[in-house]
Amino acid sequence: MLRRSFLLLVFLAVGCRPSGRPADRPTQRIVSLLPSFTEILFAIGAGDRLVGRTTWCDYPPAALAIPSVGDGIPPNVEAVAARKPDLVVLYNSGPNVTAAQQLERIGIRTVLLDMNRLEDLGPATRRLGQLTGLQMRADSLALALDSLVDRPRPPSTASLAFVVWDNPPIIIGRGSYLDQLAALAGARNVFDDVTAPSAQVSLETIAARNPQWIAVLSDSGTPPGFARRREWRSVPAVRDGRFLLLQGSLFGRPGPRSADAVRQLQALLAR
Amino acid sequence: MKWLLLIGATVVALGASVLLGPAAVPLSEVFRSDIVWNLRAPRALLAFLVGGSLGAAGASLQALVRNPLADPFLLGLSGGAGLGAVLAIALHLSGPWSLPLAAFVGALAALALVYRLGLVGGGALDPRILLLGGVAVGAFAAAITTAIVSLADAAELRNAFLWLWGGLSAASWDSVLLVALYAPIPLVVLYAAARPLDLLALGEEPARYLGTDVERVKRRVYLAASLLTAAAVAVSGVIGFVGLVVPHIARLSWGHRHRALLPAAFLGGGALLAIADTLARTVVAPRELPVGVVTALIGVPVFALLLRRWTVA
Repeated sequence: MLRRSFLLLVFLAVGCRPSGRPADRPTQRIVSLLPSFTEILFAIGAGDRLVGRTTWCDYPPAALAIPSVGDGIPPNVEAVAARKPDLVVLYNSGPNVTAAQQLERIGIRTVLLDMNRLEDLGPATRRLGQLTGLQMRADSLALALDSLVDRPRPPSTASLAFVVWDNPPIIIGRGSYLDQLAALAGARNVFDDVTAPSAQVSLETIAARNPQWIAVLSDSGTPPGFARRREWRSVPAVRDGRFLLLQGSLFGRPGPRSADAVRQLQALLAR
Repeated sequence: MKWLLLIGATVVALGASVLLGPAAVPLSEVFRSDIVWNLRAPRALLAFLVGGSLGAAGASLQALVRNPLADPFLLGLSGGAGLGAVLAIALHLSGPWSLPLAAFVGALAALALVYRLGLVGGGALDPRILLLGGVAVGAFAAAITTAIVSLADAAELRNAFLWLWGGLSAASWDSVLLVALYAPIPLVVLYAAARPLDLLALGEEPARYLGTDVERVKRRVYLAASLLTAAAVAVSGVIGFVGLVVPHIARLSWGHRHRALLPAAFLGGGALLAIADTLARTVVAPRELPVGVVTALIGVPVFALLLRRWTVA
């Protein structure tokens, strides 16, 4: 009992410890643990303050010169701490909350931001602007990103299915960023009745819904391996080779280039 | 009577899996529909063949190692297959058949290793060492697999686990034909060993006195059951419970004679997997459940019910 109260006291003491950091001084050494954040930080002019990134952070090209702290899934807390950051920006997910707590415990400031859909871009950009003291540029970027969310959807002239994995087939549903991109580009996601961001479906459902295009994230620019599998040929778009090959670095993440992604998708659909 | 019931259940299962699916196909067009003909029919047949293979492999392995917990995947094959599949993705081996082929090779490698371990005591295959060796090789392969997945850059690798957890999404006439040509060979080998397997249940010594070449039977049964399982994992990943529960259910109704038990486990396993896959495709349509979830959800309650009935009686 005594032991337990002692432990409780220790916890309380740690919890109440004055953080001793000036919250409003702009940060100078940032580790970004999501490609979207890296892109936003560069776009608002804070790229030179980045001291750590993930292996996935490949844009802009200048990001590649920043030391990598691993793939960030989950974050390697020691590698992050070794960069001596005064701010670590993490994607808001379960394992990252744990990592953020560990970093806070050793006195490193962290911020957890949502980054699932287009509407997360504006708030994240504004927040990063406050933290870096670059509010002006951040606010104007956020305004542009918000306008993308509010942009009226054009009437859909094409239909598509995003196939992210072939065995079992995993598709993108309504709750995702890619679904939003498709809608902005004037294409209807045939799985917009699936509320989850992604879901496993049967091949016959894809065949029956018969999308005009099969969209895949592909950095090689070549059709996916399943294009040559016999069972996939029951999907007319696969049989006729109607693939939209989307570059992962541009389409795989919300970011300052989301409007470019919409434009590129429109161009691909207009072929 | 029970044979008629089982055959009836099998026919119903196959019929249901061809007629039912997430895509609405009018009954009048069932035989002309591309979806039914090229997607559902091969998938139903593959489910039947894989389920049957797992059922028969499980029944004979349980007799071989004289352990009711034996499952076709307990002997390290799933670990080997998973390692093969992940290596194929990590090395960017493309091509429509690279993944199943790599999984098959991985399963064969694990099989060879476990077999070699089983022979450590000399020329005799020790079932206990076979079990322990299988678990050890499986765990080792799984550890390497996890290391590759967490170290490699390819984002697709995480999806390799989805494949490994099993499913019949990749069914096509090609895979049905492949399994239909391949599976009969080990199945016949197992069936030919039915009588010696009955004797083996008495223990190795008594079986030997009764004229069984125990070592040869053990080697054959182990290799045939493992080769069946390796093919199953290559075309459909690791589908749990069929190979564990179906043999026990069959044993409760058909007794311990393998001449009846093996065909019953084959038909029962096939019917169970065909039904389970139909449910996996339809109950949450347009989404799909992993089929292993459904086999467990059906298999375990049925098993519990039968256990109760038979222990009370």
